Amino acid sequence: MTQTSHTDLPRIPAAGTEIETLVGALERNRHTFAWKCGGLDADSLRRTVGASKMTLGGLLKHLALVEDEYFTRQLTGAGTLTPPFDTVDFEADPDWEWRTAADDSPEDLMALWEACVARSREHVAAAYDAGGPDVRSRVPWSDGEPPTLRRLMVDLVEEYARHTGHADLIRESIDGLVGEGAPA
Amino acid sequence: MTDTTTETPWEPPLAGTDVTAILGSLDRMRWTFRWKAADLDAAGLATSIGASTLTLGGLLKHLAAQEDYLTTVKLDGLPMGGYWADHGWDGDDDWEFTSAAHDTPEQLYTLYDSAVARSRERIAGAVGEQGLDRSVAANDGEGAHANLRRLVCDMVEEYGRHTGHADLIREAVDGRTGEDPPAGWRP
Repeated sequence: MTQTSHTDLPRIPAAGTEIETLVGALERNRHTFAWKCGGLDADSLRRTVGASKMTLGGLLKHLALVEDEYFTRQLTGAGTLTPPFDTVDFEADPDWEWRTAADDSPEDLMALWEACVARSREHVAAAYDAGGPDVRSRVPWSDGEPPTLRRLMVDLVEEYARHTGHADLIRESIDGLVGEGAPA
Repeated sequence: MTDTTTETPWEPPLAGTDVTAILGSLDRMRWTFRWKAADLDAAGLATSIGASTLTLGGLLKHLAAQEDYLTTVKLDGLPMGGYWADHGWDGDDDWEFTSAAHDTPEQLYTLYDSAVARSRERIAGAVGEQGLDRSVAANDGEGAHANLRRLVCDMVEEYGRHTGHADLIREAVDGRTGEDPPAGWRP
């Protein structure tokens, strides 16, 4: 897939610092993900492929939640998620975002995701300015220690890349759109 | 690099350095991808879904090629050599996917596992004293060379994306799902 990756070097610095590279990779992944989910009607955003129940609409709402959980609730120690996630009982309804995405319009799903991404960008920049890549998130993980900003960034690159892989196969089955990155 | 004394050796450090964080992420993807492709016969490895022609067998061979490509051509400007030179690899992604259909599961698993073992060793050696800032052979054609950080970061993306493909294909083959391998899993 990256056999000829020289052609996409301009989108992430070829020889950047750690933060430039991680931010560049995350932004490239967000861009590709948005392209894979873009320009579709509500029916298309509810389509599945193979045996999986994943949909592009569900992926948009899920990644909006992941952005909010990692970079707003945890990184800033906001204490709570942002609406509409703040009133959801995820323990009782762990698939809430996947399930309810089927009732949302394409415009609302994209707007929710974009708003979460915009907040993430601000919070990541502020955290980095405060303490660089080693700065700690405010919420401890299961072993009692909070992860670094670096760990959250790397995890998000993985998260986006993996879900974009899901989006690849779903989108190809909807209208045949394929490709590694969005056209220039 | 990988601590095999724990039940979940694929878990990256919570507060690693720039090197251990990104290499930890790459290794978690390798483990997860390998688990998604594991324990299948030829028919399982040749299954595709929807409108896509991707298969788990093709992904095993493609990622084996990517591991070797990263640590020869991109890292040091060396030819692929080895298995690839002996079997007519032509630099086209389709070669791996097309030719994988004629390989046995054992051949595909061995090819992938040996490529990962080589790659882990070569990347650890390349990190050396200069870390991820060291320059590599890959360049933009006008003399601007990438650093090792960029190569590894691209590989995390490559694996993440293909593991996403593997997720949906594997679920269709036998219902296996999950974000990471179960604790204690080994190839």
